[in-house]
Amino acid sequence: MRFLLLALLPFLALLLQSTIFRAITIFGAIPDMVLVLVIFYALLNGERKGTVYGVICGLLEDLYIGRFIGINSISKGITAYIVGRLQGNVFKENLFVGVIGVIAGTALNSVLLLILSLTSFEVFNLDISIIIEMIYQGIYNTLIAIPMYVWYYSSSSRGLLREAGER
Amino acid sequence: MFDFLRKKSFWTILITALLLLVVMELSSSNRQEITILERFVRDSYTPLQKGIDKLQALNDRINLIIAQKKNMEGQIAELKMQNNQLSMENQQLRENKSEVERLRGLLTYKQSQEHQYDLEAARIIARSPNNWYKIITIDKGSENGITGGMPVINPDGLVGRVVSVSTNSAQIWLITDREMAVGAILQETRETRGIVEGMGENGALRMINIPYYSQVKVGEHVVTSGLSETYPPGIHIGSIQEVKKESNGLVLSATVSSAVDFNRLEEVLIIKKYNNE
Repeated sequence: MRFLLLALLPFLALLLQSTIFRAITIFGAIPDMVLVLVIFYALLNGERKGTVYGVICGLLEDLYIGRFIGINSISKGITAYIVGRLQGNVFKENLFVGVIGVIAGTALNSVLLLILSLTSFEVFNLDISIIIEMIYQGIYNTLIAIPMYVWYYSSSSRGLLREAGER
Repeated sequence: MFDFLRKKSFWTILITALLLLVVMELSSSNRQEITILERFVRDSYTPLQKGIDKLQALNDRINLIIAQKKNMEGQIAELKMQNNQLSMENQQLRENKSEVERLRGLLTYKQSQEHQYDLEAARIIARSPNNWYKIITIDKGSENGITGGMPVINPDGLVGRVVSVSTNSAQIWLITDREMAVGAILQETRETRGIVEGMGENGALRMINIPYYSQVKVGEHVVTSGLSETYPPGIHIGSIQEVKKESNGLVLSATVSSAVDFNRLEEVLIIKKYNNE
């Protein structure tokens, strides 16, 4: 059940991002719910599992978009690894941990995407607007992270996302 | 010091990362065919996206009816009952009328262009799931004869190009995408050939490679030049908003506002075939 939900969540997030969130943008930017899910997972499960989850979720997004397949896998994998590395020292039940994780993770992921794009895209018009869009996305991610983390944390400690054997 | 070389996890990460980088490079160029895995992912999304699209359309309709109902309230107290009934009916008819008008517009355009283009109308069911790309997904695919590379228009002008096709959906890159470039010409003077490229923002385009001696003016219409094999000539792209000299002094560049309102795009027409005469 836990695995099914873990697989279903990014699938659902991508579906929402491509449909409903297109109608509710913040200055044209939509949130990256898949990334938020990856960050939460890495925060609660550490770098090893987090990286694997990040790569798989990123790959789903890449396969859906069909363009530079791997770019999101790499960026989300690395983001999850770094977020996961830092998770050992913090009190995860604190909502701020989730929110700050998302802010830092989104910034990191954006920078990674930018670097990966610069190295591999043949024609890609980069200008200041993409940075502005990233900032709006960061704000949007933070806003949705608040309710999502409350649910995600309680589900991971007491609900469907709890690992078997843990109490 | 090199202990990590003996760790299995290090090699797993390294090999995965290298593999992904190779795949990234391979999938960076325009591919006509998509892999089975991509097809599977997209086809599993298509019915869900179609369903959500229908729900959103229904929701818009309900919102419209509710909003208009609120406006009607407070009007002529005596005839309130009758009025309400009539206005409700009216609202529904109005909604139908706008739909009919929109579809009729699409149809007449289709008829008037039929001697030139073989068109296929399609509905947009999803948009880009991230902020980096400007792509849309339509509800027609290889089953309807859509193939990669086909130009996409609407009655206002050029929308983009079909990039990849799965069984019953297709992905279109909008001309506003950062990677898109279209050969363009000024409609009135026909003198300047340039390239219109996307800026990644809604409605914002840029025309580059305009020679410095060009008499390009604000407000002039930009159309496809037909020099590329992808786009037929004469499709409206947008109008010149601002012209400025590039730092090298040899060429000008201009911002172009697109003819198509990408925020309100709901239906598009795919040019399946066109006469290049």
